Amino acid sequence: MNKPSTQQTILIYIALTIVLIVFMTPIYLIASSSVKPSPIMFQKPPAFLFSPTFEHYKDLFGMRPFGKFILNSLIVALGSTAFSLTIGSLAAYAISRIRHKRMNDVAFWILSMRMFPPIAVVVPYYIIFKTAGLLDTPLALIIVYSTANIPLTVWLMKGFFDEVPTALEEAAAVDGYGLIETFLRVTLPLAAPGLAVSAVFCFIFSWNEFLFALMLTGSEAQTATVAVMSFWSSDAVQWGRIMAGSFIILIPGVIFVLTCQRWLVRGLTMGSVK
Amino acid sequence: MSAIILNKVVKTYGAVQVVHGIDLEIEEGEFVVLLGPSGCGKTTTLRMVAGLEDVSGGELSIGGKIVNDVAPKDRGVAMVFQNYALYPHMTVRQNMEFALRPMKLGKTEVANRIAATAGILGLGDLLERRPAQLSGGQRQRVAMGRAMVRTPEVFLFDEPLSNLDAKLRTQVRWEIGKLHQRLGTTVLYVTHDQVEAMTLADKIVIMRDGHVEQVGTPEDVYAAPKSTFVATFIGSPSMNMIAARVISGCLQADALSVPIPERFADRVSEGQAVTLGVRPIEIKRVGADTPGAMKARVEVTEYLGNEALLDLRVGQHELVAEVPADQRAEPGETVHVCLNTTAVHLFDTESGLTLAE
Ligand SMILES: Nc1ncnc2c1ncn2[C@@H]1O[C@H](COP(=O)(O)OP(=O)(O)O)[C@@H](O)[C@H]1O
Ligand SMILES: [Mg+2]
Repeated sequence: MNKPSTQQTILIYIALTIVLIVFMTPIYLIASSSVKPSPIMFQKPPAFLFSPTFEHYKDLFGMRPFGKFILNSLIVALGSTAFSLTIGSLAAYAISRIRHKRMNDVAFWILSMRMFPPIAVVVPYYIIFKTAGLLDTPLALIIVYSTANIPLTVWLMKGFFDEVPTALEEAAAVDGYGLIETFLRVTLPLAAPGLAVSAVFCFIFSWNEFLFALMLTGSEAQTATVAVMSFWSSDAVQWGRIMAGSFIILIPGVIFVLTCQRWLVRGLTMGSVK
Repeated sequence: MSAIILNKVVKTYGAVQVVHGIDLEIEEGEFVVLLGPSGCGKTTTLRMVAGLEDVSGGELSIGGKIVNDVAPKDRGVAMVFQNYALYPHMTVRQNMEFALRPMKLGKTEVANRIAATAGILGLGDLLERRPAQLSGGQRQRVAMGRAMVRTPEVFLFDEPLSNLDAKLRTQVRWEIGKLHQRLGTTVLYVTHDQVEAMTLADKIVIMRDGHVEQVGTPEDVYAAPKSTFVATFIGSPSMNMIAARVISGCLQADALSVPIPERFADRVSEGQAVTLGVRPIEIKRVGADTPGAMKARVEVTEYLGNEALLDLRVGQHELVAEVPADQRAEPGETVHVCLNTTAVHLFDTESGLTLAE
């Protein structure tokens, strides 16, 4: 590749700076507000220099069992991600390998699951889970999120499976491996970048989801996003706690994405070699 | 006992039949080459033996057992794929280990086998590399190693040399031959290259449009081709084919007239349309006064070092002659040539089949 000229380098850096400012400003505001003493929270112009306080964090974990809500969120997000990757990659593998003229229709039908506006299905879900006795359980959210995550995983993984040459699977078959072992030892490892991408999308969606979590959980299975919003009541908005909660919510997502990123980068170079 | 038997094996894709009832017996330890032009069904046949394609009709047995419905993993065959199909996420060592895993061998046995195979194929320094870090020739070697390390009963090769450059191809071809002598394993080898077939095979199976055209040793198919198809496919440069007619004891083809060789004398009838086949090496330059000499105009000369190929025009006919290099002539020259009539082949034009016994 050509080395960019000095002028190009400068332009690239300017563009990157603008992008960074746009994306980092909200995070900076959340982080700084979460440690700002309440009296100067809305000072104008905003106070950049102040002695930080951890009172909001103390309140957060002291007055409400926020740790439990984080745990709920983790259970729901990891549960739905694991379930969706398992079912989704198996389905995607079938769609990728079975030659049938109706296979595209099946794939489209799976995608159409995502086309319902959530608000249209939230009431039916409520009734179903009430009948099944699953209201206010993590399982209910895992199921609901998986109906959105599985189609996404299927479509992402199908593309990655299509890229794995069938000759490799045939080689494994001749070497003495059955279908399942071949899938687990040859095909899936080569589609690992796809798994990483899918995992990131499934996790982030499940972690951040608000509407279903609000409607289908109560005090037991409440997730962190819903818990944060409960600091917003009709008589007072407790900005400090909302900011502290929001900042904590950011952390697992970032950790998860950074963990998956290892596989993402590898995936890109692998594709270019073949 | 035969290692592999194909009994009227048929392959259809949907409504299209691409392999039309192949009969073939492969003896234990034999090196058999499926040879034919692209699209004639060689790969399909090989893949049926490997179990990668269903057999649509007929019977296929390996080691005395009918395997039509046996999964590839239970057939005891190893295959070297045309594109090598190395596992890209594993090192060379891991590729071989992976092939050995289903055999459930002890750790030392696995290590010994890999060391032995690596030694034979010269892979010792490459064991920790991944396929992406290997050259084409090295990948080819690893693919063979991965097949060899299992010491299978049958080796299947699908055009294993087609992705190599010419020099490497000759070298690896030689190595495959040596390897077979050393291991004595049954080999079924697919290629469209007749030189590979001639040099490697104990038995050549020439295929055409999903049929077996002829089965025989390299000597058989070269010296006694059963049809014009085999005659032109085997041998380089190709056999010259001249359309002729039997007229009063001679084979007449415009300016050309050849007395009917004795061995065909009572196998042709007056007026029959025949095809006369002459290998380029059987066309000799002679002096103008030699009996049977024909005048020929040299169109193109290809100098090959030891010998030269002359593209000749004899009346209507274009013939290729292979002559010693010092007998070559310049394009445009007129020379005299003569066919070695004891070595000509004769085919019935209508059926394309040989008229020899
Ligand atoms: N999966 C398939 N579906 C339909 N036709 C096929 C398929 N595979 C091969 N064929 C056809 O079968 C014939 C033989 O193919 P192949 O065995 O690959 O030939 P070869 O290896 O001799 O070049 C070809 O005409 C090819 O088009
Ligand atoms: Mg082929």
